[in-house]
Amino acid sequence: MTTEKLVHIIDDDEAVRKSVAFMLRQEGFRSASYESGEAFLKAAKQAERGSILLDVRMPGMDGLEVQQALTARGVDMPVVILTGHGDVEIAVKAMRAGAIHFLEKPYEKSALLMALAEAFDHIDRKVTHTLEASEAQAKLACLTGRERDVLNGLKLGHPNKTIAFDLGISPRTVEIYRANLMEKLNVRSLSAALRIAFLAEAAPSSPSD
Amino acid sequence: MLDAILGTAPDAMVIIDEHGTVLHFSAVAEQLFGYAPSDVIGRNVSFLMPSPHREQHDQYLRHYLDTGIKRIINTGRVVEAERRDGTRFPMQLYIGEAVTGGRRVFTGFIHDLTERYAHETRVHELQAELAHASRLSAVGTLASALAHELNQPLTAIANYMSAARDLLDAPGEDQLELLREACAEAAEQSLRAGQIIRRLRDYVSKREIVRERVSIARIISEATTIGLVGAREKGVSWSIDAGRAGEVMADRVQIQQVMVNLMRNAVEAMQASPVKKLTIIADRAGDDLVEVTVTDTGPGLDPDVAASLFQPFITTKRHGMGLGLSICKTIVEAHGGELEAFPNPGGGTIFRFTLARALKETGDDD
Repeated sequence: MTTEKLVHIIDDDEAVRKSVAFMLRQEGFRSASYESGEAFLKAAKQAERGSILLDVRMPGMDGLEVQQALTARGVDMPVVILTGHGDVEIAVKAMRAGAIHFLEKPYEKSALLMALAEAFDHIDRKVTHTLEASEAQAKLACLTGRERDVLNGLKLGHPNKTIAFDLGISPRTVEIYRANLMEKLNVRSLSAALRIAFLAEAAPSSPSD
Repeated sequence: MLDAILGTAPDAMVIIDEHGTVLHFSAVAEQLFGYAPSDVIGRNVSFLMPSPHREQHDQYLRHYLDTGIKRIINTGRVVEAERRDGTRFPMQLYIGEAVTGGRRVFTGFIHDLTERYAHETRVHELQAELAHASRLSAVGTLASALAHELNQPLTAIANYMSAARDLLDAPGEDQLELLREACAEAAEQSLRAGQIIRRLRDYVSKREIVRERVSIARIISEATTIGLVGAREKGVSWSIDAGRAGEVMADRVQIQQVMVNLMRNAVEAMQASPVKKLTIIADRAGDDLVEVTVTDTGPGLDPDVAASLFQPFITTKRHGMGLGLSICKTIVEAHGGELEAFPNPGGGTIFRFTLARALKETGDDD
């Protein structure tokens, strides 16, 4: 049995697939590449458990559809989403559907490694869903009303400017609320904050909405 | 009795005799022009119209009486009229002729078009906004597609180079081989990025051009309907002189886009200027070229701005994308011409571009 962690790379661009595999090999990962969501779904049932690196914009099935199909087939591997610039709205949808992280292309190597580390944590810990949900809800309870408003805007995939307009406050103030809520939730990325927010929604008696 | 009936007509009515003397001035006309009947009955009707018609109206009447050629009678036309307070308004004028008791009289029915024109102006403004918005969204779509395509090689380059950076921490024979591979792949991907950009340039500059023989005066005049909407309200006056320029070989729509852009920029530049005069001149330059200049009396170009004037994504406008002039330049250059800007000696900026003149002349002197 091998100890190297496996990453499934799903991206329609060959250069991206090859370069990610090259980089991951240096970092001690194994990888398997697929040029489309369809190709991965065909192999998914027999595939070894690993983390999935999934591109959003692809001809044929897009990333979100692949994610849905995986859920429908009971393939329970953690997913890290790769998006292009300005696809944050799609990325947020993917987070809502259970993705661990999203990264905007091009990304820093360290950001990808952090996201993958979290994904593999997920496989190792095998935490039950309900436990995390109640935990997430407790964390959200620490936020002020305004911080929660800003988080709700982020959950819709809105940029700071839009959130500021909707709340009638300045973008600079939104930034401050955003920084505060990240600190209170003890997260370092937007996708980690979103994951907590979406998990809390799954809790049995959610106080918000 | 007749007055009572005429008083119910929705349009203003003025009756004159064959010398132009006002015989009747209806209640609606009173309201419209601001004169009481006692002010006007017995006077020459010409004071209701602005120059040059005011001075020439007697001649118009005489011409008709002498020749019997009807220029306006029974046909109607849109002309300007002048109120008592000196303001002008557009009107639809219809003139009928009648002979009563051996006297020939002319009846003018006047329909005020002010409101209709206001509506039309608004519609034009909306159309212009729409045209501008759709052009912007087309550019936006293009930009988004470009960003997505460029992201792929950029991602690959970032992957290879960051892996290479970390390989340098422990250089050995194996690492050197891997470094070589990473560098080669990254170099190849940066060339791919360059090709994507070149493809976009080709798309913008060549593929869409449909050259045809077209009058530059016509292009300019059509462009004014979009480019100068709302300019008058902002206090901008303009003059256009393109009569001698003749025909060019050009893509009409694209050159119109260039003109619209230059006009809008000029109007915007003059927003805070005491003198707001836009001068557009098209003329022949040498045997083969037509030269078009768009001159404003704005504050002129900042030398810092002038250096990067035609570069994409550099803008001095709060809501601008910085694409207008760079697209204009690409279009003009794709036509084999040049677009440049220089200071207007009297203050402001002159934009000048050239186009190829259409070779065989077909009546371009009229």
